[in-house]
Amino acid sequence: MDIISILQNKPVLIGIHLGFAIIGIDAFLWLLGKFKDNSSSLKSKFVTALIGVSAFIISWVAGGYYYVVYYGTLVKPVIKSGLAPWAHNIIMETKEHIFLFIIPIAVTVLFITLLENKDMDHLKLRSFAIRLSGLVAILGLLIGAMGFIISAAARWGATS
Amino acid sequence: MNKQKLIISSAYAAIITIAFVVIITIWAELSVPLKDWLKNFSGHHWTSKSIFAIDLYAISTAMFYLLPQKHPEGFLRRSLNSLFVVTLLGVVIITLFFTAHNFKLL
Repeated sequence: MDIISILQNKPVLIGIHLGFAIIGIDAFLWLLGKFKDNSSSLKSKFVTALIGVSAFIISWVAGGYYYVVYYGTLVKPVIKSGLAPWAHNIIMETKEHIFLFIIPIAVTVLFITLLENKDMDHLKLRSFAIRLSGLVAILGLLIGAMGFIISAAARWGATS
Repeated sequence: MNKQKLIISSAYAAIITIAFVVIITIWAELSVPLKDWLKNFSGHHWTSKSIFAIDLYAISTAMFYLLPQKHPEGFLRRSLNSLFVVTLLGVVIITLFFTAHNFKLL
């Protein structure tokens, strides 16, 4: 089995999707602390934001591949015929579309990290940077919670 | 590189992208021909939305950045605040829409 085949395995895709989303959430929470603390260098904030954006992109690609190739044929029918069909109709449909919001917001925060601390203070941007970093992390957590509900609904569906 | 203009451009491009995702998603749920067209474009409606959203964000950011426009004091803060508000609105609208759709209210 080659590396591409391993990466296309369902548990591996879910692991990559979830694992990198956690890295993205952690990076933006860490960045929020750096904006609040006001002592971190431009490079430190930029690298943190870059890690977060990169992690969310990897999570998006892995989750998207799983969703397009496997979810519709293997998981969705189990949920729809199980105890909680609303988990697909409401939660999955909402999750897959809110995910599309994250990258543009995260990249905007990445661009904010290009500003020096003195420029941030002069432009009175600190609170906006904190709010947007927090928003990215909260959206990530919300999507994670939705993923948990969908997985649970699939398990109930398979055993009902 | 004009960093402030880059942030403003990205914020407005992100707002346009979020509005696009919300509108195309609701429209496609209510219009079978549009959803079929999205499916046929890439093989899956979500993949098509993803491709269009990323292209729209990248092109809008570049376009806003290249426009020879000077922004007044406070414009940067306003753009970031608008992005924050539009994101929350987008989350609420998408959630309410799929909830209503599930209960056949829409």
